[in-house]
Amino acid sequence: MALFSPPISSSSLQNPNFIPKFSFSLLSSNRFSLLSVTRASSDSGSTSPTAAVSVEAPEPVEVIVKEPPQSTPAVKKEETATAKNVAVEGEEMKTTESVIKFQDARWINGTWDLKQFEKDGKTDWDSVIVAEAKRRKWLEENPETTSNDEPVLFDTSIIPWWAWIKRYHLPEAELLNGRAAMIGFFMAYFVDSLTGVGLVDQMGNFFCKTLLFVAVAGVLFIRKNEDVDKLKNLFDETTLYDKQWQAAWKNDDDESLGSKKK
Amino acid sequence: MATTVTLKSFTGLRQSSTEQTNFVSHVPSSLSLPQRRSSLRVTASRATPKLSNRKLRVAVIGGGPAGGAAAETLAQGGIETILIERKMDNCKPCGGAIPLCMVGEFNLPLDIIDRRVTKMKMISPSNIAVDIGRTLKEHEYIGMVRREVLDAYLRERAEKSGATVINGLFLKMDHPENWDSPYTLHYTEYDGKTGATGTKKTMEVDAVIGADGANSRVAKSIDAGDYDYAIAFQERIRIPDEKMTYYEDLAEMYVGDDVSPDFYGWVFPKCDHVAVGTGTVTHKGDIKKFQLATRNRAKDKILGGKIIRVEAHPIPEHPRPRRLSKRVALVGDAAGYVTKCSGEGIYFAAKSGRMCAEAIVEGSQNGKKMIDEGDLRKYLEKWDKTYLPTYRVLDVLQKVFYRSNPAREAFVEMCADEYVQKMTFDSYLYKRVAPGSPLEDIKLAVNTIGSLVRANALRREIEKLSV
Repeated sequence: MALFSPPISSSSLQNPNFIPKFSFSLLSSNRFSLLSVTRASSDSGSTSPTAAVSVEAPEPVEVIVKEPPQSTPAVKKEETATAKNVAVEGEEMKTTESVIKFQDARWINGTWDLKQFEKDGKTDWDSVIVAEAKRRKWLEENPETTSNDEPVLFDTSIIPWWAWIKRYHLPEAELLNGRAAMIGFFMAYFVDSLTGVGLVDQMGNFFCKTLLFVAVAGVLFIRKNEDVDKLKNLFDETTLYDKQWQAAWKNDDDESLGSKKK
Repeated sequence: MATTVTLKSFTGLRQSSTEQTNFVSHVPSSLSLPQRRSSLRVTASRATPKLSNRKLRVAVIGGGPAGGAAAETLAQGGIETILIERKMDNCKPCGGAIPLCMVGEFNLPLDIIDRRVTKMKMISPSNIAVDIGRTLKEHEYIGMVRREVLDAYLRERAEKSGATVINGLFLKMDHPENWDSPYTLHYTEYDGKTGATGTKKTMEVDAVIGADGANSRVAKSIDAGDYDYAIAFQERIRIPDEKMTYYEDLAEMYVGDDVSPDFYGWVFPKCDHVAVGTGTVTHKGDIKKFQLATRNRAKDKILGGKIIRVEAHPIPEHPRPRRLSKRVALVGDAAGYVTKCSGEGIYFAAKSGRMCAEAIVEGSQNGKKMIDEGDLRKYLEKWDKTYLPTYRVLDVLQKVFYRSNPAREAFVEMCADEYVQKMTFDSYLYKRVAPGSPLEDIKLAVNTIGSLVRANALRREIEKLSV
């Protein structure tokens, strides 16, 4: 994102008429074309919108959050572009405030107002999840004081389990199943070409069945290279506390388990 | 264990002889020590002789809850007890929370307890607040005490039972040459005048209980080894009266990366002010930053308060590798008996002091015989058997729920569940890991996994947003 904005801003200063063609040839996504079109229309030689764009490009979330009237309930990527530009002036005004608290039109009385998330008569759980994620991100970066007058009461369990699975687990499951199927097909072909044992006979062999089991378990637990180290560290962690307690019963010449640098 | 008992009674039948008995028996260690140990350690358990003209002399170094409880039990058991405490009016920086069972087990008078906390608020990183305490019965509470009051009371009781309380600073000890030679303690005695440098003195005792806290000198002199420790930093803040009514019987716990990467920030009510603090093991250098963040999170509720005191203290994270050596045993913070997750230490200090003293009383048959390492090992066995499950459970809780912000969010969500609250308070107030109903346990496990999955899914969403 940040890579694209500087070239646009510099070119817009030089040749306003050139922008639409420039943007269409270089950038394919709708978002950026919208951005350049709106800037061309408001091109009055003022540097503030263009300068502000490169500032706000890395922080789209906070801007949207601060301008509730402009953002629509279903937060889609295409609409954030228009909200961004209008929000620019708002951001510059707000920086004079000492403390900026989390605000959103849909966050009422310490919880999300589900009625505002409706789409076609049903609650759009995806947008609830995204809204809560934005709130948590905001609070992680700008921790706020708790207050007895405005307690936060939101509980993530109101979002049904299938919404979570559909959003997070299904895509990854699809990926893993696809990989497993490809590997499985080629391994079966390979073994068949080497040994002449067909697929059905391979499944009957105990050794092959064991390999299959190991492969499935491996894919479940080790999905990235870092997972191997993570699992090892996890195992060490679970047994460390016990070892520290049993140290009193060990011989003196055993290694000391105190003050281990983790 | 059975063989050592019969050996002792055998010497009892013989007429008391002051000469050293050369009757040495090697008791196989597997009889007297828990089976789960991997190595076979042969302890020479000598038949100890009766002390013909004197009682057993035991010194307790440190006069906090551990030292006070140990000294009282020793004195009541008929042993000549000397308690050495360096600062009689010490206000140990401490959360000051004691469980209900401590009041009963140690017969504490109710006026020692400044406040009875019956409600707690857990606040997640995204300020989701959960009230816990609905399941508490009328008579159940967490007692908040001032350490200077509690410590002084326990020391007084020890003195009334017959212990000698000395105001002095323990310096070092000379180890005995033989198995029944005395330990020589070097200490500086203060004669009551403040500012005086005190006089160096020595004392000979048969056994030592090290109850001198996290920076224990006794531990150093027996090469007990080091432990990882957390720094707890606390500010005592006097807030306006109308804000104090909110904290009348309520304590708060704040979790989050801003407040502490591996512990929690707290607001505990004391007698007429609140203690706002936080702690950490891994990022000790940033403790001031964490303290500012804690104050920021509680800002609305402590606005207008004045800081009357700033204090800090180390908290052990796990026991030292060696908790005893010959006739010296460590108890309390000196041994490292602080739980993970909650950082609770007062009850365990007092209980371990009492348990160690009981083992000495039993091993010496009320002060009539010399003790040896085997008697002190019995205290370790009993301690580990009684409390290791509690420590393990709290360790697991810390590892699972304090790792990251999503885990903390899940933790706070779980605390809203009534079953969790009941189990938590039961195990905290009465120190027993009570088995609940299996169906509820399964529901709890499913809910925990659900909460963790949701919180981690939200974190992935957050990461997607930051890209």
